[in-house]
Amino acid sequence: MAKVKKPTKAALKRINSIITRYSEQRWGLIPLLQEIQQVQGYIPPVVIPHIASAMRLFPSQVQGVITFYTQLYTEPQGKNVVRVCRGTACHVRGGKTILKLVKQELGVEEGETTSDYEYTLETVACIGVCALAPNIVINNSTHGHMNPKKVARLFEKEDGS
Amino acid sequence: MEAVTITLDGVEVSGYSGMTILDLARDSGVDIPTLCHDPHLNPTGACRLCLVEDDSSGALLASCVVPIRPGMVINTRSPRVIERRKVIVQFMLASHPDSCLVCDKGNRCQLRKLASEMGIGLLDFQRLPQSAAIQDVNPFIERDLSRCILCAKCIRADQELVVEGAIDYMDRGFTAKPATLGDVPLEESACTFCGTCVAMCPTGALMEKERSYHGTTTTTVDSICPFCGCGCSISLEVKDNKVVRVKPGTKSQVNRGTLCVRGSYGYDFVHSNERLTSPLIKVDGSFQEASWEQALGHISGEFKRIKEDHGASSLAILGSSKCTNEENYLLQRLARAVLGTNNIDNGSRLYNPATRFGLGQSIGFPSTTNTIDKIEDSEVIMVIGANPTASAPAVSYAIKRAVNHRNARLLLIDPRETGLAPFANLWLRPEVGTDVVLLNELCRVIIDEKLFDEEFVTRRTDNFEELVRSLKDNTPEYAQSITGISSEDIQLAAQLLAGAQRASIVYGNGITQHINGTDNVTALANLAMLNGNVGQRGGGIFALQRENNGLGACDMGTLPDFLPGYQSLDDDQVRKGFEEHWGVDLPAEAGLTAIEMIERAATGGVKGMLIVGENPVSGFPNPSAVRDALTSLDFLVTTDLFLTETAELATVVLPAASFAEKEGTFTNFEGRVQQIHKAVEPVGDSMPDWEIILQLASAMGQSMPYSTLQQVMTEIEDLVPLYQYLADADLKIEGLGRADLESERLRARRLFKGLFPSGFGRFSPVEYNQPVGQTDNGYPFTLVSGSILYQFGSGTRSLKASRLRRFWSESWLEINEDDAEYSGYGDGDVVRVISPIGEVTTTVRVTNALPKGLLFMPVSFPESPVNKLYGVNLDPRAKAPSFKPCAVRLERINPDG
Repeated sequence: MAKVKKPTKAALKRINSIITRYSEQRWGLIPLLQEIQQVQGYIPPVVIPHIASAMRLFPSQVQGVITFYTQLYTEPQGKNVVRVCRGTACHVRGGKTILKLVKQELGVEEGETTSDYEYTLETVACIGVCALAPNIVINNSTHGHMNPKKVARLFEKEDGS
Repeated sequence: MEAVTITLDGVEVSGYSGMTILDLARDSGVDIPTLCHDPHLNPTGACRLCLVEDDSSGALLASCVVPIRPGMVINTRSPRVIERRKVIVQFMLASHPDSCLVCDKGNRCQLRKLASEMGIGLLDFQRLPQSAAIQDVNPFIERDLSRCILCAKCIRADQELVVEGAIDYMDRGFTAKPATLGDVPLEESACTFCGTCVAMCPTGALMEKERSYHGTTTTTVDSICPFCGCGCSISLEVKDNKVVRVKPGTKSQVNRGTLCVRGSYGYDFVHSNERLTSPLIKVDGSFQEASWEQALGHISGEFKRIKEDHGASSLAILGSSKCTNEENYLLQRLARAVLGTNNIDNGSRLYNPATRFGLGQSIGFPSTTNTIDKIEDSEVIMVIGANPTASAPAVSYAIKRAVNHRNARLLLIDPRETGLAPFANLWLRPEVGTDVVLLNELCRVIIDEKLFDEEFVTRRTDNFEELVRSLKDNTPEYAQSITGISSEDIQLAAQLLAGAQRASIVYGNGITQHINGTDNVTALANLAMLNGNVGQRGGGIFALQRENNGLGACDMGTLPDFLPGYQSLDDDQVRKGFEEHWGVDLPAEAGLTAIEMIERAATGGVKGMLIVGENPVSGFPNPSAVRDALTSLDFLVTTDLFLTETAELATVVLPAASFAEKEGTFTNFEGRVQQIHKAVEPVGDSMPDWEIILQLASAMGQSMPYSTLQQVMTEIEDLVPLYQYLADADLKIEGLGRADLESERLRARRLFKGLFPSGFGRFSPVEYNQPVGQTDNGYPFTLVSGSILYQFGSGTRSLKASRLRRFWSESWLEINEDDAEYSGYGDGDVVRVISPIGEVTTTVRVTNALPKGLLFMPVSFPESPVNKLYGVNLDPRAKAPSFKPCAVRLERINPDG
């Protein structure tokens, strides 16, 4: 698993300018968090107290919002986000094994990121294309009818090897 | 309020609009179970146990959040309701550990109680275990989140009542839990261990750590916290003559379900094994146990001898700002009527007299002008020279609630970054001791910009022209050069304050404990009157009191220059009244103040002293001089809970009972008179101070005509105008509940409407004098001393509270980051702090809460007594010593010697 690096000074400066724009507008907490994540890829925990004081909230409240939404991260994510479906249909058609294979392939557990920051592995409850089960979503593209061979090929291809 | 009638379980009941179904049901005696509801918290409907059925629509409603509407037909016990509630509890139990047998919450667990009331036995659901205990190493609170039912009472207590924000929900679904920022242990978080969440937790998820008794007690006694001047209600749980738990009192307007760490976890000094259990008489330099008869005989003999040989004025009594009103009343009667001297004062001399004089001469009323809940009604709150987070936590909660929940704006004036700084809309950091200049400049701006309340000033005050004239020479440049605050900021502050209809001014020892403390308070009173903020329903002047009964002791006339109720000694009529009542002649000449007693003891003018519950050696400036003075007395008697530094110098030491072992009343900083009740028997042979005083009076051959405390209360009520409606007997007046009486009593002290007691509020111009303790080359730093949250006063009691003692056991010195870097100091370095008067050794804490050049040391640690650094510099009118600025230098102590 990847070790979390401290955000750079430049990154903190960028984040601060975002925070300043939303200052004291409590409704703006979620757009603010999304914007930071878009720019930085994640929300560094060290900036939570700054966000809180600018929004006149408690740091624990900001953390509460961040940890509530799966779309918000407090750790850097891989370049590619792999989501393995664990919905009912996918489960029936071997989704559990697919997940196991992906874990082996990437060498990380659910919610973790590979040490080269190439992949982050997540699971998802259902993506709505049960006809193609079992499914994997990589970034914005869906890969259906997964089997061990296809899983292996998927990551070879992504690796470029 | 509009009346609303609904049908509840087939009966028509009426409430008012805005009430919830639950409120009305409880008012009507209908029981609805809840787990997440608490009257002090906003309802959230989290636990769903309060479900009721709306008969017309068949909907199940969470009754704690649904307001009543006319014509509603509600069924609280329909089969559907009962069934749903059962299922909810079953779900909760499915994720709850089966550890009821070993869980200390025992019969106090509300989840278990509900389950057993609903007849829920074995569960059919599959069990889903939750996350386990958290390893907090603090000595106060233990968290086992496997028992958490996510009712959010702790989170809401933290955010809504205490407004600390240490915890909130983290994650969601099965992994959701209340957590600190970064999920760190409590002691590394913002938590202040106030214990409010522990008192509210319905299950065993949050428990008091290191409890002396694990079970459920059957006896609880309502009382008042004996530490600071807030006067929070507490409820003492008693088992086998021991106080084993303290919880917030439920019905108090002061603390509203909260407490602070001292109130929740500082009570065990009562059962410290260092308590005095028998009278002690010093024979050949060492104390020997004696009977009460021997001790009192010895005291009366010595006092009589000194009085005969040297006159009554060679005797003095130092009373206590910690003892009850009744005890202080008896004590001043003992001094005046039995010993025949007005040499009587109390420990609040160290912080309170500036308020008495400053407010007295301005508004004609010697203390806080409004109630604590009115702070929350303010539009603007100005906090100056006070750190209520440490010195008066309940007040800090009220201020933070006002800011966070009621949109009040906070103007903070303090060189130190206190716990209120994150809540401040404007924070000014003046140079220490320059408050008069700042306050005068605020007044000048308000007058110049015509922002003052003209009607108020014209109709209810006088001497305005004099104030205007005195401020003429002030200029923004001058104020800026003295205070170090830019004129723009001062202008902003003036506009903020003057722009509010209802503004509160809260101040504390940072104002009063200066050599010009009286001037500071007077300048504040000018400011308040200018804005019309005195004598109305919202806002006012709030003078914080360090100790539980500092105000009460003064009210009771434990003062050298006033009879009870601030009735003047010089007034023959008044004196005659007391003389008739007590049947003796009273001395007319004002006596000595506390500091003067010590000075006079050193020069031989005072020969014999009685010190009740005070520790001047540890609390007064220049302790070695105090020690010498007390040693040179012919005869010193102390009564105390412990063998304090002062008691060690005494010839006779009498063991006194603690607050939990006696009855009486305390008066809090607002002037609220509240009763304490006896929870346990006095330890050993100790006795309440009031009994000691009565017995001493009889030993002196002049018994006082009281056989019960009630008679003392009644006399106070008769003779002290501010204390009418006091005695318990009055509670029986028909149709008046306790709350009504309390407000009735308070009203006697309030200045709601009409003229000030003295006719008009009087503007008194004040001039700035350079403070003592200026830095110079030899002493480059300015040191201020102050209180901290985890200890109290001189530490006599709080250091005997085992958990408080352990949490922060030693004194320290706070120093600004840049100063530390420049001088090469780091955290934990041992330094000698040296002033022209004395020196102490302590360890360094580097902080960014202080401006450059300023140092801070806490007052509560007798091992490194900060008062050793202070000389005796008295406010000329208040006769109170300065405890704020002191010029010091630092010297590193090499750990290798």
